[in-house]
Amino acid sequence: MRLELRGITKRFGTFTANHHIDLTVEPGQIHCLLGENGAGKSTLMNVIFGLLQPDEGEMLIDGVPTRFSNSGEAVRRGIGMVHQHFMLVPVFSVTENVVLGFEPTKSFDRLDHQRAREEIRSVSQAYNLEVDPDAIVEELPVGLQQRVEILKALSHDAELLILDEPTAVLTPQEIDALMAIMRSLAESGKSILFISHKLKEVKAISDVITVIRQGEVVGTAQATDSEAQLASMMVGRDVTLTVDKAVVAPGEEVLAINDLVVRDDRGLPAVNGVSLSVRAGEIVALAGVQGNGQTELVEAIAGMRPVESGTISVRGVDITNHTPRQVLDAGVAHVPEDRQLHGLVLSMSVADNLVLNTPRRAPFARRGSRNLAAVAANAEQLVTRFDIRTTSTQAPVSSLSGGNQQKVIVARELSRPLSLFVASQPTRGLDVGSIEYVHRQIVNQRDEGIGVLIVSSELDEVLALGDRIAVMHAGQISGVVDPSTSRETIGLLMTGAHAEPTDA
Amino acid sequence: MSLDVTTQTTTAAPRIPVGRTRGIGVIMLAIGLFTALVFGVGSGFGAHSSLTFNPVSLTNAPWHVGTLTLLTAWSNIVLGVAIVALGLDVVARLPRRGVMARFGVVAVLFFVALLLWAARTTGPSQINFVNLTAILIGSSALAMVLIFGSLSGVMCERAGVVNIAIEGQFIGGAFVGSMVASTTHSFIYAAIVGALIGGALGLVLAFLSLRYLSDQIIVGVVLVTMLGSLSSYLNLQVFTPFPQYNTGNLAPNLPIPLLYKIPVIGPVFFDQTGFFYLMLILVGLVSFALFKTRWGLRVRAVGEHPQAAASVGIKVIGVRYANVIMGGAIAGIGGVAFMASQGQFQPGYTSGLGYIALAALIFGRWRPSGAVVASVLFGLSVYLADNLQTYQVPVPTEILGMFPYVITIAVVSGLIGRVRPPAADGLPYRRD
Repeated sequence: MRLELRGITKRFGTFTANHHIDLTVEPGQIHCLLGENGAGKSTLMNVIFGLLQPDEGEMLIDGVPTRFSNSGEAVRRGIGMVHQHFMLVPVFSVTENVVLGFEPTKSFDRLDHQRAREEIRSVSQAYNLEVDPDAIVEELPVGLQQRVEILKALSHDAELLILDEPTAVLTPQEIDALMAIMRSLAESGKSILFISHKLKEVKAISDVITVIRQGEVVGTAQATDSEAQLASMMVGRDVTLTVDKAVVAPGEEVLAINDLVVRDDRGLPAVNGVSLSVRAGEIVALAGVQGNGQTELVEAIAGMRPVESGTISVRGVDITNHTPRQVLDAGVAHVPEDRQLHGLVLSMSVADNLVLNTPRRAPFARRGSRNLAAVAANAEQLVTRFDIRTTSTQAPVSSLSGGNQQKVIVARELSRPLSLFVASQPTRGLDVGSIEYVHRQIVNQRDEGIGVLIVSSELDEVLALGDRIAVMHAGQISGVVDPSTSRETIGLLMTGAHAEPTDA
Repeated sequence: MSLDVTTQTTTAAPRIPVGRTRGIGVIMLAIGLFTALVFGVGSGFGAHSSLTFNPVSLTNAPWHVGTLTLLTAWSNIVLGVAIVALGLDVVARLPRRGVMARFGVVAVLFFVALLLWAARTTGPSQINFVNLTAILIGSSALAMVLIFGSLSGVMCERAGVVNIAIEGQFIGGAFVGSMVASTTHSFIYAAIVGALIGGALGLVLAFLSLRYLSDQIIVGVVLVTMLGSLSSYLNLQVFTPFPQYNTGNLAPNLPIPLLYKIPVIGPVFFDQTGFFYLMLILVGLVSFALFKTRWGLRVRAVGEHPQAAASVGIKVIGVRYANVIMGGAIAGIGGVAFMASQGQFQPGYTSGLGYIALAALIFGRWRPSGAVVASVLFGLSVYLADNLQTYQVPVPTEILGMFPYVITIAVVSGLIGRVRPPAADGLPYRRD
């Protein structure tokens, strides 16, 4: 399929999300749409997929002007989309998910499972996408769930496949497998539109790269262009992609975790015998695929989740099963994984959010009443120092962009004396510029002699920041390695293979 | 439980924590010991209990069965031991499935023991006896109403809308049902009008929660409160001055030839009103449609992951409207059926049956078949709570009336088994 967009414009009120976008995807081509979060990539995809209707411009499919009023029409016209958050019903079988909306039936509206299964088998054989048609989707690993999404699109005879940030939830091995699938689909004549902000992947897979920034196409690039070139196109200025770190000799141990067991919400052991130490002036990066116990581990440290057994101590003081308040008082700062749920009170102002961890302390409160002048002064100072882009310190923090919301949390957590800085997915959803900024702050903390524990599912981030890298799999540390270790080795550790520890 | 598909664990399927299964096994053991000791040994080894099996109304003259007299203590010790055995089985093997079913069996055995204990006599007289068939018939009428209610819940919640207004739909159905039955002397017309009223109330719930994204629980509670007050007011204004619109209207039994004569089973299943048979048909129909048809797959997709359903062109809002209206209609018929089992309308006489139906829906894990089993159990407990005082039991029977709610709390808190509502149940859906 040849897809051509001519001058597509989409506005939300006064905000223009897409401005005169021109884009052509040729048959058999892997076309990458590169842009930061908020650049308008998802809006454009939703326009192509019929979920949104453009205000201006036209879309041509194989030269024929086409408009979709809903996604069902787009699917029928041969456009398939693999969403970032899978559009799969977790409790349904693979077959049920694939046929949903296009079910073969027998008399009395009964589902024809036999025929459905055969259709799936023939499609999965044709494209070499092995998956058990009777498996329940939620019981499949994420990589296979994504394969089901692709299978679903192909079984609806998709000629153009849109992949929206498909690698965000995958292990390095799964990413390799996905890329192989994409290449073979392109070879069989399918057009692929691949959305990403990860430069390495874009360079590895794309035939053509279109870069968009603030809703406009800023140009096309080649896979042979350097990452720095791509990044500066995407951000609009030069950015440093590597984190400059001076060598610092780590000091005494600030965080000691010993044989920790923590249960998840369902009562199953999510952290199962983890021991880990972080020393002063050292960044320990905890790598691993999401859902392997990292969340529960950090929540246990922060006092947000009860510890079943084992101990956590900070500078020799036992904080196991202490309350979040006591943990904060022990000199621990925590940047939570879900910033909107655990990091901020969205409806409250920037200024109030900046003192959430110390609201009852002087100078922000005296004898039980708040000192609003001190709160405001603190906000002005931190907004300037951390370059938080907001219209006012009294604006609700919900009005800020994701990157600036994260800056509010980082500013708050770093605005008091610390022993340990714990940050979970500190740059998730941030643009390149903000990532650069947050990374620099983290390294600064380390240089000042604070122990830092970073949890990230981004391998690039782990490799860039960590002085030591601990890899977590199925609730256990599968290895602690040096940052010079190859990506492949770390990828293997993420799948549970054990390595010889390079550091005790 | 996370709603975000991408954050779910990469491998293991959800499992019931071992500790909770063991906990429920221990509770079953305790119930068994209580049964054996209090209802068994406690009733004295001289006492005996008599069970009769002939329906009270002999109009249809089924085949008679003689009275069964049992030694109370030994019978209940046997029942207690059976419960203990089930409990031991759970504790020892920690089964992954069927824990709730086992608990249902335990509850039934416990009820039987309670009845035998309540009806025991020490002398040779047979003044005290338990008419088992009468109890089953009486509780079947309640179970029928509960099944209508929980089927209504299945229809709505499988599509992702919580229908807490079942009680209100019962009241509405009972009110107009009595009026129509009194004036037309036709229960078919009454059922149709009851379905229309229930469906209209469903439409209000759907409109407010789907169009204006109001909180479904609040809308539902508002509807129940409104119908309760409105029906009291109209009762005073219409039925009190014009009692001819609210005359005695017991639905006639339609015995199925020959089958109704089977002892015990016959009068319970085959000598019932048209509403009872309609209920049986609806259970089969909803069960089939929900799990075997294309329609059912789409409804369940809408209730589990509306965005996924919308992405393949299914009209989420349309499906929800249709199901909530159909569910409301079923509950409306349930209200008429209740009225027809009581004979007329009285304000407030549904007394929370709609909420018990909701409890049966949860205990039955949002499945028609499960809802039937739960409704039978809950119908029995409600019936016993209302009727056990005839045996001069030295405990307040209201305790039994708590049974459905205690069970529901135990189930929802995860004490017994694991229930999992449709993932999008009660959540507003925005098209964006």
